Amino acid sequence: MRKKTCNVLLVCGVISSITVFYLGLSPIECPTAHSRSGQHGWAVNLQTGQNLSNLLQLPEEYNEETPLIFIGGVPRSGTTLMRAMLDAHPLVRCGEETRVIPRLLAMQASWSHSAHERVRLDEAGVTQEVLDSAVRAFLLEIIVGHGEPAPRLCNKDPFALKSLNYLSKLFPKAKFILMLRDGRATVHSMISRKVTITGFDLKSYRDCLVKWNRAVEVMYDQCLAAADGNCLPVHYEQLVLHPERVMHKLLQFLDLPWDTAVLHHEQFIGKAGGVSLSKVELSTDQVIKPVNTEALSKWVGKIPADVVNDMASLAPMLSRLGYDPLANPPNYNKPDLLFLKNTKIARAILN
Amino acid sequence: MRLSVKRSVVLLLTIFGTYTLTRTLYEVLTCPGEVPRTHVVSIGVQNLNQTLYRYDQNTPMVFVGGVPRSGTTLMRAMLDAHPDIRCGEETRVIPRMLSLRQGWGRQTEERWALEEEGVSQEMLDAATRAFLLEIIARHGDPAPLLCNKDPFTLKSALYLSYIFPNSKFLLMLRDGRASVHSMISRRVTIGGFNLSSYRDCLTKWSNAVEVMFSQCMAVGRSRCMTVRYEDLVLQPRATMQRVLHFLKSPWHEGVLHHEEAIGQPGGVSLSRSERSTDQVIKPINLEALTRWVGHIPADVQQDMENIAPMLSRLGYNPKANPPDYGPPDPEVINNTERVLRGDFKTPTRLKRLVQGSPNIVFKEGRN
Repeated sequence: MRKKTCNVLLVCGVISSITVFYLGLSPIECPTAHSRSGQHGWAVNLQTGQNLSNLLQLPEEYNEETPLIFIGGVPRSGTTLMRAMLDAHPLVRCGEETRVIPRLLAMQASWSHSAHERVRLDEAGVTQEVLDSAVRAFLLEIIVGHGEPAPRLCNKDPFALKSLNYLSKLFPKAKFILMLRDGRATVHSMISRKVTITGFDLKSYRDCLVKWNRAVEVMYDQCLAAADGNCLPVHYEQLVLHPERVMHKLLQFLDLPWDTAVLHHEQFIGKAGGVSLSKVELSTDQVIKPVNTEALSKWVGKIPADVVNDMASLAPMLSRLGYDPLANPPNYNKPDLLFLKNTKIARAILN
Repeated sequence: MRLSVKRSVVLLLTIFGTYTLTRTLYEVLTCPGEVPRTHVVSIGVQNLNQTLYRYDQNTPMVFVGGVPRSGTTLMRAMLDAHPDIRCGEETRVIPRMLSLRQGWGRQTEERWALEEEGVSQEMLDAATRAFLLEIIARHGDPAPLLCNKDPFTLKSALYLSYIFPNSKFLLMLRDGRASVHSMISRRVTIGGFNLSSYRDCLTKWSNAVEVMFSQCMAVGRSRCMTVRYEDLVLQPRATMQRVLHFLKSPWHEGVLHHEEAIGQPGGVSLSRSERSTDQVIKPINLEALTRWVGHIPADVQQDMENIAPMLSRLGYNPKANPPDYGPPDPEVINNTERVLRGDFKTPTRLKRLVQGSPNIVFKEGRN
């Protein structure tokens, strides 16, 4: 009898260790991921299961001094991949798109663009300063509340960077990552995957390229003009072709220590302190895979001939960003795309 | 070991049990539990005397509203004359924020998408609350009792009463015919109201006031009080006594002489853009009470009951032109005489700002 019990216990022990080993390798959904209760805490005191160094304290208070990270760009430019890779870093939490942040920013932009509205608001005592503190409070509530706490909070809503200038005024210590990609690839992705984006007519490559051009220009100009070089433009192609090199520069730009986890984000999906994905987002099925170059040149041969001919005039931002409008496809491995064109940023990193 | 059916079943169950237990333990240990976090969002505002006021979601607050041209500005000006209360001008942005918030709450695909992205309704409430608190607390001088007047906010009275648990509401009511005549004759653009048609404006008035009235009923009598404009101008003393009692504020004679507190510190701050400014610089008077009589087209007058059912529901006789609104206080008669004599002219510094583009004063949120 004793021998049988021993055997059973031995079998149990073996099964337990196999299970733990297996779970350690594969991702499991934390059940609490999307069922957050209403109570939030900004003065946070919690314990997590990850290996946070004891030196790293979570901030007591979130305000205009918080060094947030904002990721954006035209949708389908690798924004989700970027935030997933950063989420894998133990010190950073981005989380899913909030959807509401770009709407509030757009509403604010419409008020400040109308000179008459500005006058009326000033008459009402709602000065730009008062409005800024209100928008800031709203943003912090959403960014802080909608995911796990972390020493560095981050937000990814692609079109939020249309208000890059304004965001850097609200949060002077914030850093911005603008994802850039060959507009032809971006447009092919949204059309072939039927990704609805307001203002983009998915039945027309021509219209989408023009809209892409306008949107990326607005964001790129603000990125270049960002104070103290706080905005880093990142080319999607470089990210997938040379992830280690790009991520090294990126983490240095963000004042974060290196961690190889960022190169293996697919191992942290659904895990505590890792990458939280949403069923609603259309990049989810791509971002569960490791960094790959599958999507680089899928667009070749798919663009209508007349659009291909007019490419340089339809989308002048292509050449401004370093993509040859006449090459189908260009060689994305060109050395001058590897290095950041923005001398302001290069100087800031060197300092 | 002899393998019988019973023993193998027991063995399988043990294996299964061990697997489940291990997996559960692993999850519990590595996943962060529901963190008990308490929210501390408070705003500190200092006034000229260096007194620090702290405001948070539990601070008592009063929201004044109603269909535009129903005496909302008069009410907030009289409250502003009270040293403990500060309303200030219309913020304009608060109704837009509430409208945005409503859009995210409707039972549609958008709401489901937000939940999937980890943006819960509670989080949206906290964010909306923070935005509103910042605007209300910072757009004017601090005071023990903060107040906000944006007419259409009373369409969201129930929601506001939920996110600000100690808030109260004052719904200004007025004879719809007077409100509509005022907006048409003064050309006050209001989103959704066609100023070239009395019929349309009266219909829209009836719909709007119905929504606000039912919201007020839903909030409850202890927290939402209706005030008739006619009562306010005919019997200001009695009406304001009821209002201040409702707000649990002590009586102050100054509320009956708000025109003396205009531009004063701790008094009434006016906006040159607002359409009632030139009226509210005058003392409480009866000028606007029955101006509408004779201006409503005959066919609209005939159909009044059907066009504006809320008239009779609120106690205004749709067939009387005008109804008897009640007897005036002697103080008010005196004021009206002084006003008609021309004693109160708009000071130059408060003259209406000349603007090129149409000033859409109110934007009705979509419901």
